[in-house]
Amino acid sequence: MTSLTTFYLSGIIGKEVFDADGDAIGIIRDLLVSSVPSGHNDPGNQTVTGVKLKMKKEYGIYSFNTFRIVKTREVLNVSCSELIKLTEEEVANGMLLVESILDKQIVDLNGRKLVRVNDVRLATLPAGTFAIAVDIGIEGILRRIGIAGYIKRYLNLLHISIPTKFILWDDVQAIDYSNLNIRLSKSYAKLHTLHPSDIADILEDLGKKSSMSVFSALDEEKAADVLEELETHAQIHILENLPVDKAADVLEKMPADEVADILDELEDEKAEMLLKEMDTESSQEVRELLEYPDNTVGSLMSTDFISFNQDTTVEKVIEELRIKKPEPSELYNLFVTEKNEELIGTFNLRDLVIADPKTVLADIMKKEPVFLFDNQKVQDIAELVSKYNLLAVPVVDGNEQLQGMVVVDDVVEDLINERRTKKR
Amino acid sequence: MLKNRLKDSHFVKRILIFFAILGPGIITGSVDNDAGGITTYSVAGAMYGYNLIWTLIPSFIVLLVVQEMNARMGIVTGKGLSDLIRENAGMKITFLIFLGLLFSNIGNTTTEFAGVAGSMEIFGISKYISVPVTAVLVWFLVVKGTYQIAERIFLIFSLSLLTYVVSALMSDPDWSAIGTAIVRPQMEMNTQSLAMIIALVGTTIAPWMQFYMQASVIEKGLKMKNYRFTLIDIAVGCVVTVVVAFFIMVACGATLYPNGVSINEAKDAALALKPLAGKLASQVFAFGLFIASVFSATILPLATAFYVSEAFGFEAGIDKKWDEAKEFYSLYTFILVISALIILIPGAPLIKISIWSQVLNGILLPVVLISMILLINNKKIMGVYVNNLIQNIIGWAAVIILVILSVVLLIIPFFSR
Repeated sequence: MTSLTTFYLSGIIGKEVFDADGDAIGIIRDLLVSSVPSGHNDPGNQTVTGVKLKMKKEYGIYSFNTFRIVKTREVLNVSCSELIKLTEEEVANGMLLVESILDKQIVDLNGRKLVRVNDVRLATLPAGTFAIAVDIGIEGILRRIGIAGYIKRYLNLLHISIPTKFILWDDVQAIDYSNLNIRLSKSYAKLHTLHPSDIADILEDLGKKSSMSVFSALDEEKAADVLEELETHAQIHILENLPVDKAADVLEKMPADEVADILDELEDEKAEMLLKEMDTESSQEVRELLEYPDNTVGSLMSTDFISFNQDTTVEKVIEELRIKKPEPSELYNLFVTEKNEELIGTFNLRDLVIADPKTVLADIMKKEPVFLFDNQKVQDIAELVSKYNLLAVPVVDGNEQLQGMVVVDDVVEDLINERRTKKR
Repeated sequence: MLKNRLKDSHFVKRILIFFAILGPGIITGSVDNDAGGITTYSVAGAMYGYNLIWTLIPSFIVLLVVQEMNARMGIVTGKGLSDLIRENAGMKITFLIFLGLLFSNIGNTTTEFAGVAGSMEIFGISKYISVPVTAVLVWFLVVKGTYQIAERIFLIFSLSLLTYVVSALMSDPDWSAIGTAIVRPQMEMNTQSLAMIIALVGTTIAPWMQFYMQASVIEKGLKMKNYRFTLIDIAVGCVVTVVVAFFIMVACGATLYPNGVSINEAKDAALALKPLAGKLASQVFAFGLFIASVFSATILPLATAFYVSEAFGFEAGIDKKWDEAKEFYSLYTFILVISALIILIPGAPLIKISIWSQVLNGILLPVVLISMILLINNKKIMGVYVNNLIQNIIGWAAVIILVILSVVLLIIPFFSR
């Protein structure tokens, strides 16, 4: 006999457990694994720690330490030397496989998408019993229905094999912690490794309850990035169900133009409530943007831009940028303004890099730059962007004072949305 | 901002408003009057005159209650019905439900293609041309990802279902007789009439509609706050279904029944209308049938592939590429091809196929409804939005009646020999 025994969750559920004397104790209904990872690559996060047993009409969760699982001639036998009931805290630190994993949607961290679990593969090693992988393949479906054996035999005659698909436990993030009061932010830790737009896609596919609990577990920075990537109706759902103070914190971390777009879709009352809760500086910017009619340049522009005085040296500009650490899109185009914010020139990173550090901006900037008025129609942007090959176009008001800039990403997004709207 | 831009053009504006009003309930209600439905209503009208029109009243109530439950589940959970069944009923029950759904929907899709073939024959086009051409067009429409436009075009066309009202009025029905027949139907209760009643209820409340309704509610992103509007939408949808059914039965009941014309297919109804109500009435009837058939032949295979994929965790959706969602597209293509092929087999037992798919529908419906009622009463899933007492009474009463009807339907063949 080898020391390694592998088996499936579907094979162990419903098994009778016998004590040392060979008397039946109860029937296995679920397995508890420790779910909260205590650190990176912690092997403990997949250990089976408990067994949920049904004894007559009572259910109880008992420590796995006294259980033994032996496979003889493809038949699993489970024995238990002594029943030790787990404390409530021990149960709360774990996750029941049938309740939270089997038949539920989980995140496949490698494929960055939701998958549905057909079965869980476990292994008994000298060190303990572990959940090692989830089965999302067709074989798992057939095994659950109870016909995998027959079908395999027939297909073997034809030399065809049933496609199997496993995801290693390390690459899996459970979503549905229906019953347990475990600390959510820790239990969703693995999700943080994903790109915000991947998390957004996953949230859109999840049910309403799960999408809220996953979103609430994200830290503010990540939450802001994710919210920005969500589709409108998912954004609305999140903002309406999040506590106002938490929602305001997330919105403060987002660019003002994105916030304005979202608030525009919310009911006026709710939007006003959120604006009041946000800090004055952020909400002021958003309010100004909300003033612009929907189809004008002003409604699409970003108010996060960087401008300098024309006497500033290149050296000084680079130093300030290092301190400020702006978002990538803010660097698409840099501006030179007069004291009264009047736009007089633009320059970009290339201009900075190739210039002598002592040069002043007045010498390297492009004078008479291309710009848009904030009340111009959005249709005019695309033409300008493509004609002059710009990544970002400055936006000025009637007094030629710089108000913001339109970034090419937003233009593209707008064009895609327009297509989609027309299609529908 | 785009909304405003589109408003620049008047025509577009009007269409936008039109679509904004059309909700999931109305769409589902229109899809409900498919070739199978039109056939059943026509046959019922031809065989029993106005005497089975009363069945539309209980059908309407059950339809309303069931669809309301679907909408509520979709809005509260944001999850599809197949998701919920899989997560709560386990693999074996899920497998049985979806195996049944797959077979019954292949049968239903076959009926849709029969509708295409039949209606085009009225206009003198052979089924060996109309069916393959329709199947290929439908396939491209969906796989090329322009399905959304298609759905809306069909919806406008499905207004042509209202032409049945015209057909019915042209046939000069006796309104007081209709009234009397609804209150005091004159008919014998025998195996044949019972089977007809089951078929009528079964075609009005088809199992796949429940999945379709819930999915479209989620896609629309509806909220509990605006639930009153959703209710109106559902009610209008149910009224559309029942009104169209009513006028088809009236049209056939006024013309075919008194003349003793018996029919087997919707096409027969269109043909039979010609000498009795004029060529125009016949062609109007055929056109409505064609549109309804193509509409449902597009949606049924797509919806089926989608729910099956959802339940078993295959990647699904027409926005996915073929390689990403192999199982989904294969299933969709399989259903479409099989259904179209069956029609093209010379001498295929079409009537038997249509009867058997209705029987499967009849068996599946209570199973799906029981799952639904159990799910919607589960506090863990629905929170405060579980069913109230009245909803449960109507829901369970509908289930019990349908179970009895289905059992009777299954037993009938053993006694009618």
